[in-house]
Order: sequence, then structure tokens, then C-alpha cells
Amino acid sequence: MPIIVSFVLLGIGILALVLRRDLVIKLLALGLINGSSILFLVGIGNRPSARAPIHVPGEVATFVDPLPQALVLSAIVVNFAILALALVFVMILVERYHTTDAVRIEVETSRESEEEETPCL
Amino acid sequence: MISRRGWVIGSVGLVVLFVVLLSFTYMASYPEPGDSARYLAIPLEDSGAANRVAGIYLNTRLFDTLIEILVFSVAVLGVRYYLSHSPQVSLPSLSESAVVRTAAGILGPLALLLSAYFATFGHISPGGGFAAGVIAASAVLYVAIAQGMQATERRLPPQRVATAEKAVLLFLLAWVFLPLAFGRAPLSELLPRGTPGQLLSAGSILPYNILIAVKVFLGAWLVIAAFAQHRGEL
Amino acid sequence: MAGHVLLALVPIVAVVALTQSRRLSAIIGMGLLSFLLAAAYLVMHAPDVAITEATIGAALVTAIYVLAIRRTGRLTVVADEVPGLLAREGDRVVGLEYEILRGFANSQGLDLSIRFVPLRRVPWLIAHGEADIGAGGIIPLTESIDPLDATPGHLDTGVYAFDARDGRPTSELAPDYDGYFSELQSKARNGLLSSSATSLDLARVLSLSRGAPLEGLDRLDGRHGYAFLVSKERADLKRELVRYIESLRHSGELDRLVARFVQ
Repeated sequence: MPIIVSFVLLGIGILALVLRRDLVIKLLALGLINGSSILFLVGIGNRPSARAPIHVPGEVATFVDPLPQALVLSAIVVNFAILALALVFVMILVERYHTTDAVRIEVETSRESEEEETPCL
Repeated sequence: MISRRGWVIGSVGLVVLFVVLLSFTYMASYPEPGDSARYLAIPLEDSGAANRVAGIYLNTRLFDTLIEILVFSVAVLGVRYYLSHSPQVSLPSLSESAVVRTAAGILGPLALLLSAYFATFGHISPGGGFAAGVIAASAVLYVAIAQGMQATERRLPPQRVATAEKAVLLFLLAWVFLPLAFGRAPLSELLPRGTPGQLLSAGSILPYNILIAVKVFLGAWLVIAAFAQHRGEL
Repeated sequence: MAGHVLLALVPIVAVVALTQSRRLSAIIGMGLLSFLLAAAYLVMHAPDVAITEATIGAALVTAIYVLAIRRTGRLTVVADEVPGLLAREGDRVVGLEYEILRGFANSQGLDLSIRFVPLRRVPWLIAHGEADIGAGGIIPLTESIDPLDATPGHLDTGVYAFDARDGRPTSELAPDYDGYFSELQSKARNGLLSSSATSLDLARVLSLSRGAPLEGLDRLDGRHGYAFLVSKERADLKRELVRYIESLRHSGELDRLVARFVQ
């Protein structure tokens, strides 16, 4: 079940990334794609009728696989750092072109690259 | 520019793609328990940490955690550098509502206490250094909402915080790599192992958690302060 | 069971959050999604991951986004409606002056708020500091209108007055009439226009004459342009506004907006 939901989230994230024009919403969709991969990793470690991987002395039980959880901890923190940096780049972009519309920014950049001369050899 | 046909084809292609991916999950099965029994056993016996996840990412896979902290530091550096070019804004307060300010002033010390608990008990109960550092940074954000950004800046000047962050990073790297120079293993050799479940157990996992918490707190606070002070046109 | 319910809610919240029109709503929706995911991780016996996801995804990411898109102040504009320049269309406001003001507010990081008031109140409100900018098809007729200041005109227009005495302006500002512009429209239909209006500008005349032909209006000589009113004490605001309008004119954007709204 978590694996299916993670793929659905991946699909929703990619669709939102492509179809929405606002740059901030595109960033949020990227964050959603990150979240979907984390959900997938935690989901494949899940075992039916198991317990959290904290050892209580004097108890023997089957544990959930702890390795994906360890991977995911670092992944969450790194995702946050990269998201903050991406947000800074979006802020710089918006300041340069005075719009948060991705389509208009594309038009402006293509117009700029047409106008500048190719350097002579 | 993408035409309307392009949108339709793109969306249909995406749907097909993720239906294909979905069908793969039905063909896969859970990995055999026997494969990860090794990983389940090692952390407990090797490091003595009751929290097996902490045992993995601070003992068996310590270098992964170290590189991840390096990536975090580089991202913080990038955020500070790129935001230093935007105009700086000094607002009277981060929130105009007195209710929010009072509530934030009450919650700030509580969050700080929670962060200290997660950092020191991270090896015997859920928590860990990363969560502790992030909670501490948001605790300082509460304090900044309650008392104003200027007062918080006076107590935590950004230049000093940046220097302290780099110093803690170097200290952490030294703690991990110096024993290698002297021929010993870098993992949990400097402190005794103890019995799992006690506070003073699991070797150096406890100091690692605290160091990571301090490092992540400093880095995350730098990012938040940079966003609170510089504003672009967004 | 609880885990399945939580996980089933997650895609629904994701779709709702990513299809919002306002950016703030989308950010809060993603924070809610992060909380739901953290609860799901808890049910899947992953407490470390749950704590980390809740604090980072729900608290820190939301805080950073909100700090990045917050507005650091408010720009109040008082105006009366003019079709083509500043008019209400259902929920939204459209028009040339609205686009200029919105771009200006965005570039200063301010929230734009427009109040529609009777036209005669506009100079009083600006002079008493109750609003920042006066708009709505105002044409300054004299050089100085103490204690107000006017930006250099952004669109040339014509002034029409009812009893024009040899082309001399009758007041400092045109247009000049009682009440709201929408009341003028009903009066024009009944032929009572000259009782409440002293002078009108071209945009209003064009809009009024669509309903019924107007009589008794003479066009004043001279060159007049629409401008914004700013209090004399806010010299920096006027400077920023003038600079912004100049940059619009320089980049050709002003002509594009004029072509879009006025012609």
C-alpha cells in the first residue's frame, strides 16, 4: 500500500511540475517528488506485524528493516537543504524577470538569446 | 512553446509511464528477511545502541552521514552567498499579531528542551541528531518571532554563527578521521560501549548525535535568518 | 487500518494542495501533506523518520517558503472606477492603472489594496495620509496642487468640462463630480449629468456616451495626461513610482499595456 501511494504521488508530482506555470508551485511539486521517494523507501522496509527498531531490553520481537530508515534520514535533511537553495534561485530569477510565470520567463530568455550576437572567432 | 497537442500527449505519456511503474510493484515482493538479519544484528552487537537506526547511520554507515552533513553545509553556504546580493530588509516584527508573538515566546523554550532531549537520548529512543538540530533552529525562530529579529541578531550574530558552524564541522571530521591516523577504527572506539538501553552506552554515538545536532542547528538557523532578512520580489 | 486511511488521504491532499491558485494555500497544503506523511511513517513503525519528516517538512520548509513570499508592507490606493483604467470585473480589478500599480507593488514587495471611494474624497484622503496613492483617471490641471504631488502623466488624454470658460480649468483636478462613477452612469441616462459633474476625462466620457449621447460638454485645450497622486511628504514613494513608470515606458511595456486596455 505505501508503495502504490508513493507511485501515485510521483505521478501527481510530475504532472504538477509540468502543468502548473507558477515557479513556486513547481518547487512544491519537486518537494512532493522527494517525499514520494522517501515514502517508497520506508514502505519497502515495512514488515507485517513487526515493531519499531528500538531494542527494549528483555524483549524479543521481529523488527522493521532499519536500513531504509537510516538512508531516509539523511535524504530528508539533504532534500531540505537543496530545496532551500532552489528557492533562492527562484527568488533571483523572479527578481530578474519580474514575473513568476515560467512560460513568460522562457519567452524572455529565448528572446534574449536571440538578440545577443554570437561571438566572432 | 508547447502546443495543446503536446500537453495532451505529454500527460498521456506520463500516465502510461506511471502505470508501468505501478505494475512493477505487483511483480516485486518483499525482500527476504534473511538478507537484512545481518543488518538487524550488527548495530546492536557492534555499537551497543538500542536504537538500531541510530546504530546504522552513526556506526555502520558513518561516512554516509558525514558526507550528507557536508552537502548540507555547502547548501547553507550557497544560500547565504546568493541571498547576500538581495536587498536587506529590517522589519519591526516578523508577525504583527500579539497572540502569535506570545504563543511563540512560550513554545520556544519547550522546543529547545525537546531538541536537547532528542540529541542526548537519540541512541536509546527515537530522535537523533538531525531532528534535534532542526527543532532547535525552529525554536530560535519562535524566539525571533516573539522578540523581534534585531534582538535575536544581537545574540546570534550571523558572522559568528557561520564561523562556529565551520568549527563544529571541522571538529566532527577530526573526531571521525583522527583515530584512523593513529591506527584505530573511527567508530565508537573512543568511549566505552556500555550496556544497551542505558544513557551512557553505544560508544561515541552519543557525542556524534550532539555534534550533529549542534551543526544542523547552526546551519538551519543561518538559512532561516537569511530568508527572514533578505527579500527579493517573490 | 489507520495506516491505510492515512495513506489513502495523502494523494487527495496532494492534488488539492497543488491545484490551488494562491501560493500561500499551496504552501500550507504541502505542510499538511507532510504531517500526514509523518503520521503514516509512525504507523509504519518508523519513529525516527516520522519525527524528522514532521519537523523538516512541516515546520522548516513551510517557514522558509512563507518567509520567502511574505509581503513586507501594504500599499493603499484610493480610486474611483474608470472603465479601461481601473474597473471591477466581478471579483477582480482590471485596467491599465491597475497593472501599473500591481507591478509597482510587486517590485517593492508590498501588498496592493485598492479602496473605491467617491472621486472628491481622493485628494483629501491622500493629503491626510490615509492612503498612499490616488488613482482612477485623475488629471492634474495646474502645476502644483498643494499638499499633493502628481507623477508625470502616463497616458495622454482629453478633459471635457460643462461650462468651460475659454478653456480655463475650473478646478485643480479633473475630473470633478459628486459620488461614484457608477452613479454618473444612471444620471447620464436620465439626462441629469450636468447637475453633478463639472468636468470629466476622456475615458469616462467614452464610457458614458455609449449609453446615450451627451450634450453640453466642451473639450478643454491643452495637453493633459492621467497621473497618480502622492502626498508631498512621501517624496521617496513618488520617486520610486516615477522610476518604475519610466522603466515601463523605456522597455515598451507601457505601450503594450496601453494597447491592451485602452484601444
